[in-house]
Amino acid sequence: MDYLLTLDWIWIFTFLFLMIGSGIAFYRLASRSEDDYFLAQRDLPWWLPGISVYATHTATDTAIFVMGVVYLYGVSALWYIFFPVWVAVSAFISTRIFRRSLAGTVAEWQTLRFNGLGAEMLRGWVSGWQFFMAMFILGWVGAAMGKITFFLFGWPQWIGIVGFTSLAGIYVLMAGYWGVMIADFQQGIIAFALILIVSVWAIIGAGGPAEIIQKVQQMNSTYTWTVPDDTSPSDKTYLRITGEEQNQQRQYSMGDPFSIVGPPADTDEVDKATPTYEEMFQGNSSKLEGEEKDQFSKHNTDTDFNIVFPHPGDTLISGESYKIVWNSKESIENQTIEWSNDGGTSWSTVATNVRKGQDWRLSPFKFSGWFTGDFPVMWFLTMLVIATLGGIGIGTNSDWYVEAQRIQSSKTVMEASFTMLAGGAAVLFRNGIWIAAMLGLFTLVPQFADVGQVETMWYTYGFEHLPVGVVGLFVAGIIAIHLSTISTRLNLGAQYATRDLYHHYIKPDASEKNLVWVGRISTLVLMLGSFLYGMMITEITEWLIFAMWIMFAGIWLPSILQVVWWRFNAWGYLSAWIANLVFSWLIVWVLPAYGIIPELTNYMQFWILLALGTLVFIPITLLTKPEPLPHLVKFYVQTRPIGWWGPVKEEAKRQGLI
Amino acid sequence: MKIWKRNWTKEEAELWTKEDVIAALFVALSFVGIIIGTIYSFLLMPIGFITLALSVGIGILGILIIMPKMQSISREYEKKQAKYLEDLEKIARWEEIDG
Repeated sequence: MDYLLTLDWIWIFTFLFLMIGSGIAFYRLASRSEDDYFLAQRDLPWWLPGISVYATHTATDTAIFVMGVVYLYGVSALWYIFFPVWVAVSAFISTRIFRRSLAGTVAEWQTLRFNGLGAEMLRGWVSGWQFFMAMFILGWVGAAMGKITFFLFGWPQWIGIVGFTSLAGIYVLMAGYWGVMIADFQQGIIAFALILIVSVWAIIGAGGPAEIIQKVQQMNSTYTWTVPDDTSPSDKTYLRITGEEQNQQRQYSMGDPFSIVGPPADTDEVDKATPTYEEMFQGNSSKLEGEEKDQFSKHNTDTDFNIVFPHPGDTLISGESYKIVWNSKESIENQTIEWSNDGGTSWSTVATNVRKGQDWRLSPFKFSGWFTGDFPVMWFLTMLVIATLGGIGIGTNSDWYVEAQRIQSSKTVMEASFTMLAGGAAVLFRNGIWIAAMLGLFTLVPQFADVGQVETMWYTYGFEHLPVGVVGLFVAGIIAIHLSTISTRLNLGAQYATRDLYHHYIKPDASEKNLVWVGRISTLVLMLGSFLYGMMITEITEWLIFAMWIMFAGIWLPSILQVVWWRFNAWGYLSAWIANLVFSWLIVWVLPAYGIIPELTNYMQFWILLALGTLVFIPITLLTKPEPLPHLVKFYVQTRPIGWWGPVKEEAKRQGLI
Repeated sequence: MKIWKRNWTKEEAELWTKEDVIAALFVALSFVGIIIGTIYSFLLMPIGFITLALSVGIGILGILIIMPKMQSISREYEKKQAKYLEDLEKIARWEEIDG
């Protein structure tokens, strides 16, 4: 609360007045029909939904996530957030196909692509899942806002969750998608301006671009090591670094002894050993000097490496993470870290292929090996394939469902493509600005092993360093970031409940007035449900990430096949869903927990789940009947899908339809 | 000889052609370049400004290549949109579609 003065509060209240005012202004327009309430009458110029794509994908937790990955991986963090590249491919392929279908939702599109009982089961399942996921994501984003308002105002978390989501709820309930669009337009511009200001401020505060680069290049090598939980207490623990020089000569150096103890009853009472800021830079060695250092350094066999942290005599706690710090000769590559808990008799590997120094943080392509290390080539290739080929499919990732609404609300097929391009480019531009700023913030506090200690740093830097008056704008920007995500998810979840569940299955002859009111009630239910999830989110975050992973890994290929292969049918898609529910539990949790398979990296999980799913859905597709030809011909003539549609195209030609 | 096709009949525009692939590849490449170029530009590295300028240029070129085709597709499609919307509404309401 101390951060804000009168001028700051004026900014905040002006902004809130604009948001809620726009909701009231568009109430009558939104009340005309279901199409108005969820798609703004399909008549928007590309730049309006384009800004909305950008605003929606800038959430309160995005800056937290980006700071976390930049802190860990430097510039190569961009590959964690370059995912909007799928939009570039989609804009010219799947966006065009989807926009021509006119389906309001992905679930509705599937009843145009597929036919009969399978198609209806799919529509019911996908729409129910999307309603559920909207509630989950709302709770997640609400909880992030709860953390920020706790930090800023000291409010209990529930106020951050309930208060700001309710503000978005006012204009979404009243003006539906019209309110979302008008508010997103304002929010997108405010958020972009504030991200630019705070990030440039952070870069300057970190010493400016030249100093940031210099600091990174001068930093020592580091590796974050989590001391195994089951380590026995010892005061003769050692670390050893080995490396290769000119691909043959192995060098090694052993550090000085330190101690390991079990976790204390109350860890808050223990000062955790941490390297100092100065020790993160070359030229600074460990604390001990003179005779004392000689005594501890008797195991050192050469001076090619110098272990800076842990300091001799430090006490590390099992189960905790520490940043090992060392420096080495410039020419030594492929460094390996090992540790011994018995005075150097036996050694275990901590990590292999560790990159030396920190200047790798300045490169997006400094890989740690094909399969090993923090940044293996295989992980990068997996992300590249998922992002680019994913653009051909429909529903290949969770963002697709948000984009689908923006595609259909665009005035024409061409404007829908521009909507996607504009939104995707703005998201990537924003990510670039953030990465540069967060690299600067990293150089201010490079010594922490726990990312949790720094992940809100972009926010805290803004609050603590922006001048009076601008802090209020910054808070308005954060509220903008939050409300745009909340309002989109509220309206999107309500669209699936109204269009796909209520309208199609419960009351097909409902009047437009009735449908708009069901939309409003669905919005309210989503909002209330999200409060509940928001309050318990710390317990369910892992589950939520898993739930999103389930959908992503197993449905990715079927989502492409439904666009490119005429023979793929609803039963194939449904079986992929069901198979993935089973396989993902087994591969991600159950089998590793019982030691049957090792814990796999994310990219390995993706390929294994994809392969296992394919073994199920391809036979099921081929053993069941194709969708009826007349249905496929109608779909083909209207949407002109890409890929293998030979028999359908021939039939359409024969009927003189194309 | 023109490097890329600028005049499309409605039948030609409905087919998937090399222009679609080139546009998608150029813009995807441009997107990757935009993020890398932005990072280095904000760190005031010359390579950043060069990458950013080239990326924007490639992206615009991709859009220019596909634009005439997209205009043709869009124009033709909008003529039929009202009928398609009517059919979609009938499907939502479980009604029979004509034709």
